[in-house]
Amino acid sequence: MRRGTFLAFVAPSLVAMLLLIAVPLAGVAWIAVHNSHVETALAEVTTEVPMFGGVTRKVTRLVPQPVLDEAGEAITTWEYVGGAEIARAAELERVGEALTRDRGDLPITEKLSGVHSDIVNLDFWDALEFTLLYTFLTTPFVLGIGFALALAVNRVTERLRGTLVFATLLPMIITPVVSALSIYWLFIDDAVISSLLQQMGFEKLYFLGSELTIRSIIIFHGVWSATPFAFILLYAGLQTVPHETLEAARVDGANRWQATWAVTVPHLAPLFAVIALIHLMDAYRVFEPILVFGSSVYANSLQHLTYFVLAFQDNIHKAAAYALLTVAGIVILLIPVLRHTWREQKGLG
Amino acid sequence: MRREPAWLTVLTATGLGLWLVVAIFPFLWMILISFRSPVDAFSVPPELFAPFTLENFRRIWLVDGFWHYGISTLVVTFFTVLISLGIGCLAGYALSRYGGMLGFWLLLGALVFRAMPHVVLLTAYKPAFFELGLWSRYETLIIVYVAINQPFTIWMLRSFFVNIPRELDEAALGNYLGQSRHMDKLMLGIAGAVSITLPLIVLVLLFQKYLVSGLTQGAVKG
Repeated sequence: MRRGTFLAFVAPSLVAMLLLIAVPLAGVAWIAVHNSHVETALAEVTTEVPMFGGVTRKVTRLVPQPVLDEAGEAITTWEYVGGAEIARAAELERVGEALTRDRGDLPITEKLSGVHSDIVNLDFWDALEFTLLYTFLTTPFVLGIGFALALAVNRVTERLRGTLVFATLLPMIITPVVSALSIYWLFIDDAVISSLLQQMGFEKLYFLGSELTIRSIIIFHGVWSATPFAFILLYAGLQTVPHETLEAARVDGANRWQATWAVTVPHLAPLFAVIALIHLMDAYRVFEPILVFGSSVYANSLQHLTYFVLAFQDNIHKAAAYALLTVAGIVILLIPVLRHTWREQKGLG
Repeated sequence: MRREPAWLTVLTATGLGLWLVVAIFPFLWMILISFRSPVDAFSVPPELFAPFTLENFRRIWLVDGFWHYGISTLVVTFFTVLISLGIGCLAGYALSRYGGMLGFWLLLGALVFRAMPHVVLLTAYKPAFFELGLWSRYETLIIVYVAINQPFTIWMLRSFFVNIPRELDEAALGNYLGQSRHMDKLMLGIAGAVSITLPLIVLVLLFQKYLVSGLTQGAVKG
């Protein structure tokens, strides 16, 4: 295919991505290094203030008023601030304070935990901590459980497979907000799980009232809703594992585990890599469970933090600063993958 | 095949059984409480049996106008899938047939775009769309969905087209007026790609509904 034809074919898709992904990214970067305010000036404003019995009094005060241009619109001034807004969003000053604060002569472990707790007290670092925790804790479970399920379903008789596959896919098919709600309702105070545990003789638990339990539940939801995706890809992959090689391994004396480990797993390795990559991207932008569980105090995510600043504080500069830091994070996470792809391409070319 | 040992069968059955309970129970419980009055739905302690009522459904369908949202979703999803596949097929086909570095860079760029948290884009959309007067419109939402799904769509369609042998293209092009056997095959290939991709894209769309539509469409629905 010639270069011209190629460009013509990819043009619509490319334009859409450039216009609505690349340009907005540049826009976010631009907003993050600027600050804006509406120009105001003191103006005399006269109002009638009611006193009593329908008597009013005229009061004239100096009040800041927006300055209007010829068209009658308020004038907004943009000013370049460099990295100041980003440094403020990441609260770098207080991170520095936390690092340099005098902690007397406590043992080193306690000093470190003091530094840690000071830093995660700051919004951005707290969200970053949980986002990374969520991303890296869910990934191995998603891969492991997904693979185990794929192996198990693969052994079941044909007749049952369709039903099993459908039931397994349920947590993925249902939209995230609804699936998060369905888990949330099981764990609210005095709901199913809590009263079941009480009947089994455990103490009464308030799952949504402590950091440890609420974080565990959100991570559980993450594993629960992403496992079907790993399962379906690995299940499809299992159908392509060469039968002869497996049989040969068994004939050579490998037991079941060894055969799986030495033949099936290497055959599916590229698939594992793809699933891990996609899950990494998706887990990094965890949002819905945080929203549904209302857990931002105990477990916040970068995406939820940015959303909150954008939607409720209505501060686009701060939101853009958080957004830029979020992008920096995902790019850092992707660097190994990008380098690997780049090397592979160079090897081919 | 050899005979399966009994312990393995037991392990498989237990594991699958356990997973099925974990996978389905939250939804079963949700369905169960949707047929209860609010008092019974969240009773303390929770009961397995409670009076049955359709009141909740009557309310959301007839009083709250739930179908408005349903229609919004259907319209947006339909057009998004249509446009996504249209431009995605072109790009996916070209990427599978073009050997130059440009194709590689495009795919790599798409990978990075795929990773962008949507709130990042939303931060830019919000002031821009307000300024342009495009906020809270179906067209805006559809175009935004098409764009943020393109990275995934072109990667996926490319991998389908890679599996269709190139000779078929030429044969099909040469014969498309005469015997159309090869064209049929190519068409079948494309149809296969589309029919597998379509539900997946619909799924992905349903997936990310909340965040973007929460802000861009809220006003339309409300």
